[in-house]
Amino acid sequence: MASISSRRLAKELNEIHAQGCPVGIELKQADDFVTWRFSIEVMGESLYKGEKHLLQFRFDPSYPISSPAVQFVVEDGREAPIHPHVYSNGHICASILGNEWSPVLSVVAVCVTLQSMLASCKKKERPVDNDRYVKNAPDNPKKTRFHYDGPYLFLRYLPATATRD
Amino acid sequence: MSSTLKYPTVNDLKVRTCYVCREEERHTERPNPPKAWVHPCNCTLVAHEACLLQWIRTAQSDSARAKNALKCPQCGTQYELQSEKSIFLRVFTSVNGTMQFMGRMFTVFTMAGIVAVFGTGIYIVSTAYGAYALKEFIGNEMFNLLLTEEPANWPWHAFINLPLIPLSLILSRTSITSHILPVISILLTWPTSSPVPQQERSLREHWTDPRHAQELRISHLPSAATWPPSPLLFGLFVVPVTKMIYKRYFTMLTHWVLGSRPLPGDRQFVWQRNEGNILNIRIVAGIRREGDANADNEEAADDGNAEEEPQDVAAAAERTLNHTTSSLGRFIGGALLIPAISSFMGNMLFRLSKRSYLLRQFLAIKPPLRGHVASPPLGPYSYNQNWAGLGTLRQAKLALRLVFGSVWGGTRTWADSDPVWWRNAVGLGLFVVAKDCIQLCHLWMTKRELESRHVKDRSFEGIDIKELDLI
Repeated sequence: MASISSRRLAKELNEIHAQGCPVGIELKQADDFVTWRFSIEVMGESLYKGEKHLLQFRFDPSYPISSPAVQFVVEDGREAPIHPHVYSNGHICASILGNEWSPVLSVVAVCVTLQSMLASCKKKERPVDNDRYVKNAPDNPKKTRFHYDGPYLFLRYLPATATRD
Repeated sequence: MSSTLKYPTVNDLKVRTCYVCREEERHTERPNPPKAWVHPCNCTLVAHEACLLQWIRTAQSDSARAKNALKCPQCGTQYELQSEKSIFLRVFTSVNGTMQFMGRMFTVFTMAGIVAVFGTGIYIVSTAYGAYALKEFIGNEMFNLLLTEEPANWPWHAFINLPLIPLSLILSRTSITSHILPVISILLTWPTSSPVPQQERSLREHWTDPRHAQELRISHLPSAATWPPSPLLFGLFVVPVTKMIYKRYFTMLTHWVLGSRPLPGDRQFVWQRNEGNILNIRIVAGIRREGDANADNEEAADDGNAEEEPQDVAAAAERTLNHTTSSLGRFIGGALLIPAISSFMGNMLFRLSKRSYLLRQFLAIKPPLRGHVASPPLGPYSYNQNWAGLGTLRQAKLALRLVFGSVWGGTRTWADSDPVWWRNAVGLGLFVVAKDCIQLCHLWMTKRELESRHVKDRSFEGIDIKELDLI
C-alpha cells in the first residue's frame, strides 16, 4: 500500500501537470516521491531580476504531516540567492518550513511563498550569522531550529482546497 | 426549526477533499470502511477526522508548533477537541506538571549552587552527600561504626567512594531502571570495611575482656546459606538477574498494555536534545518512533509506514509524556532522592514487619545494638591472643577463610548487625516497580485519551451557501 505521502505527492504532481506551475516556477525534477526540484525566478522588477535558482524539496514518509525539507541547490556552480533569510549553503529561514508548516500548504504553495519572499526583498545581503551557521550546519535544514523574525513569516499562499467540483 | 437543519454540514457536500491528505470523496461513494469527515472551523476547509487528529497529535508533541496545532491554518479558528479525560488522567497530568515546576526550581538552585562552590566545593558537596546517602542506606548504627559524622575518622577509601556516590546515582538514571546500581557499589565497598579507629578501640576493650571473649566463639562465619543474602551475592548476582528478568517482563507488559509490538534492535533509550537544550529522557522501552516531523529524529524517517495506528498512538502518547517529563532538574533531583526514598521505603517495611512474622523473617530484622557492643570485624580472630596456640598451617587456613568470609559476606561487624541495607534495597526495588507501574498507567491513560479524541464538527453556518456545492 502506498503511503499517505506518496498518494498525496502523486495528487500534487497531477495538479502541476494539469494546471502548470505559477509564473516563474518550473518543475525540473520529480522522478520519485523523495526529492523534487523546481527552478524559481522572480518576475517583474526586483533585486533578483534575471536570476534563476534551483529549489530542492525532500519529503519523508510522513509528509504532509511533517514539513518537507526545502533548500536552494548550491552545487554545480549554482548559488543560493543573496537574501537576509537565505544562508550561502542554501538553507532557508522561513517559518512556513518550520513552526508554521501546515498540511494545508503544498509544494507549489511553498514555492510561491519563497518567490514572494525574494520579490519583496529590499536589500541583498546574507544573514548576519551566515559564516557561523554554514560552518556547523547539518545536512538537513529541518534539523536546525531557526528563530523566525521579519515580515516573511506571515506570507501565505493558500490553495483553494475547498469544495468546488 | 433547529439550526442543525438549517445549515448544511460536512455530510451535505457533493465532493469533499481532505485538506491533509488531499483525497477526495463524492457523496455517491461509500468507501469501506467508511471514513469520518469533519468540518472543524469557520471556513470551507474539511478533513478526514483521522488525518486531522494525526496532524494535531504530531504538532502538539513539538512545543514550537504546539500553539498552532489546534488552529485552522486558513481562518485561524480554534479547533475544539472532545475526548474522554478520566479524573485520574487529570490528576496524573497536574502532578506531572507540578513535579516539572519543582524540577525547574531545582535546576535554578542547583546551577546557582554549582557556580558558587565550583572545584573543591563540588568535591566537598559530593562527599557530604555521599556520606548522607550511605547513612540513609546502611542505617545509623552501621554508619556510626564504619564512618561516623567526623571525617577525621574516615578510612581512606571513603574519600574516593563517597564523592562517587552522587555521580553514580545520576549516571544510573541514564539507563532504564538501573536505579539500584549505585547500591551495588555501596555493597561492594562498605561491608568489608573495618570500624573506625575509635570504635575499634572500644570493641577491642570489650571483646578482649575474658568475660565476653567466650560469647564470640560460638558465632559463625557468613556463608551462602545465611539470610539475608551476603552483600556480594546480592550485589553481583541477585540484583542484575532480578533486574534483567524484571526489565524483560515489564517491557512485555508495557507492549501488552499499549498494544504495540516490540521491535528487534530498537533503541530503548535515547538522549534527545530538546528546545532550551535541556536533557530529556524517554521513559518507555522500545516503542517505535514515528517517522515524524520532530526534526531531531531524522533516522526514523525511513520507517515508511506511519499509518499503523496502535504504534502511532502509543508513540504519540509516549512523546506527549516525554515532553513533560523532561528537565534536567527533575532528572538529577530524582537521582539524588534515591537514598532518601530507599531509607523511607526500608522504614515502611520495618514498620510493616512488626505485624507480620513472615516479613520479619524475610527482612531478617535484628534488635538494635543499644547497650550491646557490635561484633569485631573478624570475630574472635580479630585479636592476637586468639591466634596464639594455632599451628602455622591452621593459621594460614584460617586466614584464607577469614579473607574469603569478609569478601563474601562482609566483616562480622557487618554480618551481625541489623541488615538495614537489606530492607532498604528491597524497599527501593518495590519503589522502582511501583513507579514504573504508575508511569505505565499514566501512559496508558494518555494513550486512551488520544484514541478517544474527536474534533468537534460544525455546520457551515455563516458561510455563503452559494460557495458550497451541496447535494
